[in-house]
Order: sequence, then structure tokens, then C-alpha cells
Amino acid sequence: MSETALTIADLRKVFITRKGAVVEAIAGVSMTVGHGEVVAILGPSGCGKSSLLRILAGLDDDYAGIIDWTLEHAHPSAGRLRAATVFQVDSTLPWMTVEKNLLLGLSGLRLPADVAEARLRDNLALVGLAGFRRAFPHELSGGMRQRVAIARALATDPLLLLMDEPLAALDAQTRLVMQQELVGIWQRTRSTVVYVTHDIGEAIALADRVVVMTSRPGRIKAILDVGVGRDRDVMALRRTAGFRDLEAELWALVSAEVGHSLAGEARDG
Amino acid sequence: MAETVAAVVRRTLQRRRRLAAERIVLGVLCPLGLLCLWQALDLVGAIDPRFFPPPAQVVVKGAAILADAGQRAQLLSDTLITVQRLVIGFALGSVWGIAMGLAMAVYPPLRFSFGPVVYGTYPLPKIAIFPLLIALFGIGEAGKTALVTMGVFYMTCINTLSGVLYASPVYRDVARAFRVPVWTNWVRIVLPSAMPAIMTGLKLGLGQALILVVSAEFVSADDGIGHYIWDSWQVLAIPRMFVGLVVVTLIGGIAVLLGSLLERRLVPWATH
Repeated sequence: MSETALTIADLRKVFITRKGAVVEAIAGVSMTVGHGEVVAILGPSGCGKSSLLRILAGLDDDYAGIIDWTLEHAHPSAGRLRAATVFQVDSTLPWMTVEKNLLLGLSGLRLPADVAEARLRDNLALVGLAGFRRAFPHELSGGMRQRVAIARALATDPLLLLMDEPLAALDAQTRLVMQQELVGIWQRTRSTVVYVTHDIGEAIALADRVVVMTSRPGRIKAILDVGVGRDRDVMALRRTAGFRDLEAELWALVSAEVGHSLAGEARDG
Repeated sequence: MAETVAAVVRRTLQRRRRLAAERIVLGVLCPLGLLCLWQALDLVGAIDPRFFPPPAQVVVKGAAILADAGQRAQLLSDTLITVQRLVIGFALGSVWGIAMGLAMAVYPPLRFSFGPVVYGTYPLPKIAIFPLLIALFGIGEAGKTALVTMGVFYMTCINTLSGVLYASPVYRDVARAFRVPVWTNWVRIVLPSAMPAIMTGLKLGLGQALILVVSAEFVSADDGIGHYIWDSWQVLAIPRMFVGLVVVTLIGGIAVLLGSLLERRLVPWATH
């Protein structure tokens, strides 16, 4: 990794339930993300991976620890968002066209009209929706809507692209196709990505490094290098022995945590 | 193959047309059937025609009123004054209600202070405070307008408020994650996300407005369709009263129709 984009040091997050119970969601996570790197965060449900992403997205200010946007200090940047998020659920706004959805994402940057237009055109072409500028979300399939959300995030030229299980709501075939598309898109945009998922195969297929989190309270259990270049064929990669070995290793790590998490739920419930 | 596809298309279209036709025919037949039943009950002497004149008699009476210049002018001016009260009260109440609902939704201190007031006084039947409104605004138009405005205000305010608060949280996340400017957020995200609930509030408000305007005209007016109905009842001109009821029904029906047309324009994504 050439440059560090982001450093997270001893991040902690606590929730207090309505009944006053204290739930420790993240218990001291420290990690760095390199410039241009794709990091997948893998863990059982309730491990705090979505909480981590919401903190990075600026949707939650109530945490302890340090998040150092190293790259932002190095390259002060007008016309770029520090972080842009693609959500798990459909986050397109149904009352505006695809074009307006993208422009809304840019509204905080106050770009000149021609720059905004260029970003719009390039990113819609990138996700294969050039012909759908004036379509409304309800006229598109679920996969196309998620591509709109991806284009909206990419159009802000973010220093960090955050993705919260963006393919989880799609059917299995579309998901595989979209994985390959994401690989292609990131290669062209050289995005720095933090990608939350619970799908082991998806984590390997997309990421340079996979961070495995423990069940609640979330800590980093292991960090594994995928060791395949950015230029990859997802379907071919899935057939390699290296992929299957890594998958088995990750499954061993994660399944222990799923067991803990289930036991924990049984105990709490 | 092409022929089969064409046949399938034809069959699908036929089925759709049949369903549409069925809907219209039944929608017309059912009310007509009920009117016929009413007429039949009158023929066999099962209901008292002094209070429940058969539909045919109401139609004849209506035609007679419309044929007579003086009576027609009376009915028309009463209808117009009611519609005018309805429109003014509805406009004032809905603008005020939507604005207040939005403000309460976006600015929590306002919600904390006025929430208990709005929800606390909401269940009070508005007509119950009509005397007070008369005392405040006088027995003229202002008192009646205030009554209708209040009825519409509660419906739109409460629905707008819950529309914003219960809109999908992902819209709020989008606004924050993309650092959408405050004003853009209001106009492009908050307001549209609450629009289906606002439309519901407007439709409920319309019903309230019609109830209140007629009630007010019953109690304190010498014109309007409510007065027309009440006046007919007092002199036991029952068929004339029924003509008044038909007019109120027509006003309500037309208003609901206009409302759905507006809804289709304002929230095309919800009716889809």
C-alpha cells in the first residue's frame, strides 16, 4: 500500500437499550485502510460492522476513539466528499429521476453545472445506465436501482467509498454479475473502499484484505490478505484452489463467531 | 409462434377490459339497486314516505326546483356559499396545518412544546367550541371559517408530522451521508417523503371541512346548503331536504375526485 487513507484507533461504540441495558457494539477496533485499497469487513450479524460503517459515513457521532482521515489532510480537496455511502436497502429517492438522484448526492459539493453534468454522464455510463437518466426508480429493476445508488456515491468522487452489504437485497445471479461490475468500476475509479458483508465468497471476490470481526462486542479477530491483484475475474477466481482455501479458513473463523453470537442471543433472550 | 403471442396478448387485454367493465358496471349497479330497493320498500308501504320519500319523488322534486327560477336561484346561491366557505376554510387550514406539521417535525423543541397541545385538543369535537369561535370571531363568515380551518388544521398537521417522522429512515441517512444542504433537504427530501401522508391528511381534512361547514350552517347561518337542509326539515319539506342532501353528496364526491387527481399528480410514485 502506497499511502494510508484512513486510520482508525481504538474505536468504541456503546448502545443503551430502552430498558437501560448497555450493549457494547464495538470494543476497541484499530485498523488502517490504504489509498486505493478495498477492505472487506466480515462478521456475524450484530458484530458491529454496520455500526462501524455508520460512524465512518458520518451518520453517528456518538463514539469514542480516533478516526484520522490521513488522506484528506494530505490532499485538501474541494469537490470531493470525504466519504460516500451505498446502503444495504434501496436508497434511491422514488420521487426523482435517476439524474436528479445523482444531482442530489452532489448538492452538498456546490459544483459548477458543467462539472456536475460531466460527473453525471461519466458515472451513469460507468454503471451502464447512460440511457436511463430520466427514468424513475420504480421503472428500474432492483439491481439497476442499486447501480443508481453506486453511481450517486461515485459521482461525489469520495476519498472513501463505503458499502453496507450493497448486494444483499439482490437475487443470486444479479449479485454475481454485480460483483464483477464492482471490480471493474473500482479498477477504473481507483476507489478506496470499505465494504461490509456477511458473505464470505463476496468478501474474497472483491477485497484486497478481509477483516474478520468477532461477535458482540465487535473486535478484530483476524486480517487476511486475499493476494490477488485488482484486475480479476470473479468467476474464474471462485474456481481457484486459493479461493477455496481462503474461503475454508474464513469460514472456520466466522463460524466460531456465529456460534458465539447465537449462544449470546440465547443467553440474552 | 407469433400468432400464439398475439393470441395471448389479446386474451390478456380481453381479461383486463372485462375486469375494468365489471368494475364500472358493478359500481353503477350497486347504488342503483339500493335506490330500487328503497323505491320498492315504499311501494309495499314498508317505510314512511313522509320522512323517507322514495327516490323517484326526490328526483321529481329536484326537477321542479330546477325548473322554477326563484327556487333554482335559491339552491344555487346556497350551494355556492357553502362551496366558498369550504374552499376558504380548507385552504387556510391545510396551509397552516402542513406548515406547522413540517416545522414540528424538523424542529424538536417546537414538537415538544406544541405536540401535547395539538394532540391534547385534537379529540375535542370542533363543533363543541363553535360558540367560543363565534364569541371570538363573530357570527359572520369569520366564525364559520375559523371552525372549518381548525378541523382541517388538525388533520393535516398531525398527518404531516407523522408523515415526516415515519418516513423511511434511509432518506434521512442519504441526506446526512451526502451532506445535503439544509434547504435542499427540506424541499427535495423531507417534503416529498411526507407527501403520501400529507395527501391522506388533506383528504381526511376535506371530510372534516364538509361536516363542519354543514354543521355550522345548521346552527348559525341564514344561507348555505346546511341551512337549506335544516330549513326544509323545520317546515317538513322533506323532499326538498333530500335534494339538499344530494347536493352535499355531490360537493363531497367532486371534492374527493379532485383530491385523487391531485394525488396522482403529486405522488405518482406512491400510486404506482
